[in-house]
Amino acid sequence: MWETLKKCPRHLLVCEKSSFKSTNSRHSIHVQQHYFNYRVSVLIPECSALPQKLDSIVKDFGSYYLVKDVPLHKLVCEEFITTFLSKGSFYALSCSTRIDQDNAAALLPTGKLIISVDKDTYEELGLEGQSSRYSHKTPMRYVISMDLTASSFAPGGNRYKRVMWALAEKKPLKFDFLMAWNPSDDRRANLISYFSAYQLKEYQPSVAIKTLKDIECPVLQSSDLRATSAESCDAQEFFDWQGVVFNEIESENDSGNFLSTYCCPDPNIVVDQATLCTITGFILPEKIHLLLESLCHYFTEPKLTPWAVLAVHGFADSPVTWREDEHGFHKGGENLYSFVVFRNHDYWLQMAVGANDGCPP
Amino acid sequence: MRQEKKEDLEPTSYERVVFKNASDYHYLKIHLDCEEEVRLNDAHFKQLIISALKDLHGEVGASLPFDVLKFDEKSLSAILRVYSSGLVKLWSALTLLGSYHGKRCAFRVEQVSPFLLSLAGNSRELVLD
Repeated sequence: MWETLKKCPRHLLVCEKSSFKSTNSRHSIHVQQHYFNYRVSVLIPECSALPQKLDSIVKDFGSYYLVKDVPLHKLVCEEFITTFLSKGSFYALSCSTRIDQDNAAALLPTGKLIISVDKDTYEELGLEGQSSRYSHKTPMRYVISMDLTASSFAPGGNRYKRVMWALAEKKPLKFDFLMAWNPSDDRRANLISYFSAYQLKEYQPSVAIKTLKDIECPVLQSSDLRATSAESCDAQEFFDWQGVVFNEIESENDSGNFLSTYCCPDPNIVVDQATLCTITGFILPEKIHLLLESLCHYFTEPKLTPWAVLAVHGFADSPVTWREDEHGFHKGGENLYSFVVFRNHDYWLQMAVGANDGCPP
Repeated sequence: MRQEKKEDLEPTSYERVVFKNASDYHYLKIHLDCEEEVRLNDAHFKQLIISALKDLHGEVGASLPFDVLKFDEKSLSAILRVYSSGLVKLWSALTLLGSYHGKRCAFRVEQVSPFLLSLAGNSRELVLD
């Protein structure tokens, strides 16, 4: 019996290496297609304070909103589509809903509305969807996906009427939503005035900047992901080490230490200081992309450190990870990625997902 | 400053590797919830977990190696690392611990992940007024 209990749910770590100078580099796509981001952390070794350009980006991350008790049909109505969806990128994610227990909804910037519901709600709603990929013999969770900008969803059409009837009359669903909007032009509609009938509050992402002293940093070679020579650490070891640093864990333990035997992977060097910046909130991919470009630009001038790290955590209860890939919560809802930006403009991209997730793109 | 090698100056070629179940360890973020005020240092905290393992799984269970990577004495919260094969033993022992020196207490397992980096950002902790 214990042999079965020793097995753990499947998890995946995808490691890619490429160069920002390459025309085929997909770093932008990976960032832009990971829509719902909760925390972004930047680590720059050999640096006592955040560089000015990064600092200005961090301070200008933009607001997000918590709007309470919004009926879902409000995000599907014609007025909302013409006001927001056709004039920029709108992000909405249901707040305080657990993807493994509750109904959840998300509006992607592509105009797709994803609703993840339990079996009873699905049967009452009467909309066409698919059973969750992570259901077992009896599906207990269903995912309904609709493209609000498709021609088949034109207001007045049969599909539109059916959806409005289901969401407004048959089984009205209400959620607290985290919302953010990135308009494509200057003639921006006002999100606050549009949702003025609901309890709405504006938030700024919280920023924490810390200077770490005397930390052991692994030695890396950008061209050697698997550390075929003994001169550098491999991508997996480095991903574990990132967890140590971002959790601010001591790594100077000897083998006889009672509490912990974790040691920094070899080879490593001791760095006098490093800057750790953490931004928490409802963070848009566009802002993360700006941060990444700025980090890449940081190395256009000579720097002591050979690399810097940008790590991004997704929302554990988001219905999707990258693109429209279904996301679930088994023992954890991890969907995160990190960029290791090298001095020579190479990068490593490491994407990690848990049991109820597909392989990242 | 390290001298740039010639190969470092040339852009690297594209490579993609997928690691399935590659992490040998699982990480738990836990905290100890007590009815009365309890003072524990890091060594006592680890000893408490070892005694929980011994109570449920016996002497062999108590020899399960795990690390207390981080411990906060004020909040009695910690990050543990255990081999993936021992996760169920450790988690069950934590769940079934009911008291410490006669005082009622319980371990709350806040987050479990095969990736330590995942424990640095848990969106379920997001509290907005």
